[in-house]
Amino acid sequence: MPEIDELVRKGQDQLRVLMGGRGGGGRGGTGGGGGQGPQFGRGTIGLAAFGAVALWLFASVYTVKPEEQSVELFLGEYYATGNPGLNFAPWPVVTYEIVNVTSERTENIGQRANVGNEGLMLTTDANIVDINFQVVWNISDPSLLLFNIRDPQLTVQAVSESVMREIIAASNLAPILNRDRGIIADTAVEDIQATLDEYESGIRVVRVNLDKADPPREVIDAFREVQAAEQERDRLQRQADAYANRVLAEARGEAAQILADSEGYRARVVNEARGDASRFTSVLTEYTKAPEVTRKRLYLERMEQVLGDIDKTILDQSIVGTEGGSSVVPYLPLNELRRNTTTNEGN
Amino acid sequence: MGKIKFLIPLVVVAVFLGLSSIFVVDEREKALVLQFGQIKAIKQEPGLSFKIPFIQEVVRYDDRILSLDTDTIEVTPSDDRRLVVDAFARYRIRDVVQFRQAVGVGGLPVAEDRLSSVLNAQIREVLGADQVTSDTILSEDRRSLMGRIQQNAQASAAGLGLDVVDVRLKQTNLPDQNLDATFARMRAEREREAADEIARGNEAAQRVRAQADRTVTETLSDAEREAQVIRGEADAERNAIYAEAFGADPEFFAFYRSLEAYERALKGNNSSMVMTPDSEFFDYLGSGRISE
Repeated sequence: MPEIDELVRKGQDQLRVLMGGRGGGGRGGTGGGGGQGPQFGRGTIGLAAFGAVALWLFASVYTVKPEEQSVELFLGEYYATGNPGLNFAPWPVVTYEIVNVTSERTENIGQRANVGNEGLMLTTDANIVDINFQVVWNISDPSLLLFNIRDPQLTVQAVSESVMREIIAASNLAPILNRDRGIIADTAVEDIQATLDEYESGIRVVRVNLDKADPPREVIDAFREVQAAEQERDRLQRQADAYANRVLAEARGEAAQILADSEGYRARVVNEARGDASRFTSVLTEYTKAPEVTRKRLYLERMEQVLGDIDKTILDQSIVGTEGGSSVVPYLPLNELRRNTTTNEGN
Repeated sequence: MGKIKFLIPLVVVAVFLGLSSIFVVDEREKALVLQFGQIKAIKQEPGLSFKIPFIQEVVRYDDRILSLDTDTIEVTPSDDRRLVVDAFARYRIRDVVQFRQAVGVGGLPVAEDRLSSVLNAQIREVLGADQVTSDTILSEDRRSLMGRIQQNAQASAAGLGLDVVDVRLKQTNLPDQNLDATFARMRAEREREAADEIARGNEAAQRVRAQADRTVTETLSDAEREAQVIRGEADAERNAIYAEAFGADPEFFAFYRSLEAYERALKGNNSSMVMTPDSEFFDYLGSGRISE
C-alpha cells in the first residue's frame, strides 16, 4: 500500500507542477497584457511540455558512483543491474536501488558492550577461551542481497558468531592459543561464506581477523606463569649445556695433555736409551781395542769420583780383625760420625 | 472555460481511480488481495497487478530471508552438565495463504512469537535427548545437532506457512555460577603444567650434566689408557735398544753399568762408607807395593 500512496502522491505532485507551470507561463508569456483569463499561448504550452520532460528526465536519470551498483526493477520485477556512471530508469515504471558493493564493512564480534560475556567460548575440553574477531565483508551480488536478506548486517554478525563458536567448540584449548590462529581464521572464512551462500545472500566474506584468542582475564596470570616456567626450563637446559660444553672442553684439553705427556715420555725414554746405548757402544769400541787398560782406567776414574765425594772411614784389616777374632766395628759410633757431617753442612 | 472547470476534477478522479486499481508487487514481496478479509488472489511473482478499488485491499509479506534470535535458555544434556544456549533461525514465508490463516492480521510479530517457542522446544528436545551429552554438543557433532533442530523446527513450523532455512547455535556456555569452578580448574591445570615444565627442565639439565660428566670420565680414561700404551711401548723400545747395545758384551756392560750405578747411588755427601783398604782401588795404598 505505501507503493500506491507514493504513486498517488507523485501523480498529484506532477499535476501541481503542470498547473504551476501554466500559471508561471501565463505571467511570463503575455507580459502585462493578460487580464485574468488564462491564455494558452503556444509558447506557454511548449514551456510547460519542456518543463515536464525536464522533470521526467530529472526523475529518471541517476548516477552510480564507482564503488556502487544499482538494481533496477521494472514494475517491481528485477530488470537490470546498473554499473557506475549515468543510468536511465524511466520513471515511474522502473525503480532503482543503489547499493555500495565494493567498500568493506566490518563486524566486530566478541567485545560488543551490550553483550556481557560475548567473547567467552567453551572448547571441547571444557575450557573457556576469550575470542575477539572481525569479519570484513562486501557485496558480490546486490540483487541477491536486496531480494533474499532482510538485514544483512545482523545476518553476518549472527552467522559469524555461530561459526566461530562451532569451530572453537570442536577444538581443544591449547591449539587455539598456540598455533592455529591462521587456520581458525581461514576455516571461519570458508564456513561463514558457505552458510551465507546457502542463504543466497550475495555477500562475500573478504577476511576474518582473529584479534584475540586468549585465556579469560580470570586465569591469564596462570598462563603467564606457564610461559615463565617454559623460559625457566629453557634456562635450566641452557645452563646445563653450558656446563657440559665447559667440562667437555676441559676434558678434551686434559686428555690431549695426558697424551702429549706420554708422547714426551716416549721421546725422552727412547732418546735417553739411544744416547746411553750409543755412549756404551762407543765405550765398548774403545774397550775392545785395549781391554785391560781401559777397564782399569774406567774403574779408577769412577772410583775417584765416587769416593771423592763421600765420607770415608777406612779401617785397616788388622783393626777389623780376622774372622772369628774380636772387631772394633761394633763399637764404632756411626751416628756420631754422621752427626758431625750434618752439622758441618749446616754451618 | 466552463468545460475546463469540469474537466479538471474529472481527470483527477479518473487518475485516482486508475492508480487505486493497479498495484506493483516488488521482487522482495509476496502479496494477497483481500476482499472484506477474504483471499481473492495470491501474487507470488513480481509485476503489475489489478484490483477493484476500495473493495479489495492488498496485503504484502516479506519474501526475503528473515532472522530470529532465540532467548537464552538453559539445557541439560544427558550428562547433567548444564549449558546456556542460544540460537538464531533464518526463515522465510513459504505459503502466504497458510501464513495468513495461521497468524491472522498479527503478521510477523505473531509468527516470530510462535516460531520462537517452536525453536526453544526443539533445542531443548534435541540437546536434551538421551544420547546427547555436553561433549557431543562441544564437538564436531554440533553441526548435525543443528541440522536436526532445523529439520524438527521445519516440520513444526510447516503449519505456520514458514520455511525454516537454517538454525544455528550461537553460544553454548557454562552458566555463570559454574564459571568460577571452571576458571579454578583451568588455573590448577596451568599450575600443574608450570611445575611440570620446571621439573622437566631440571630433569633435562641433570641428564645433560650426567652425560657430560660421563663423557669427561671416558675421555680422560681413554687418554690415560692410550698414554699407558705409549709409555709401555716407549719402555719396550728402550729395553730393545739397551738389549741390542748391551748384548754386544754383557760382561763389560755389567762392569760399566756398575760403575755408573756406584756414582749415582753414592752421589752427594750424605753417604758415609766404612771400608778396608783391601779393594783393588787401594792396591797401592795399603801394601806399599810401588813396583812389581
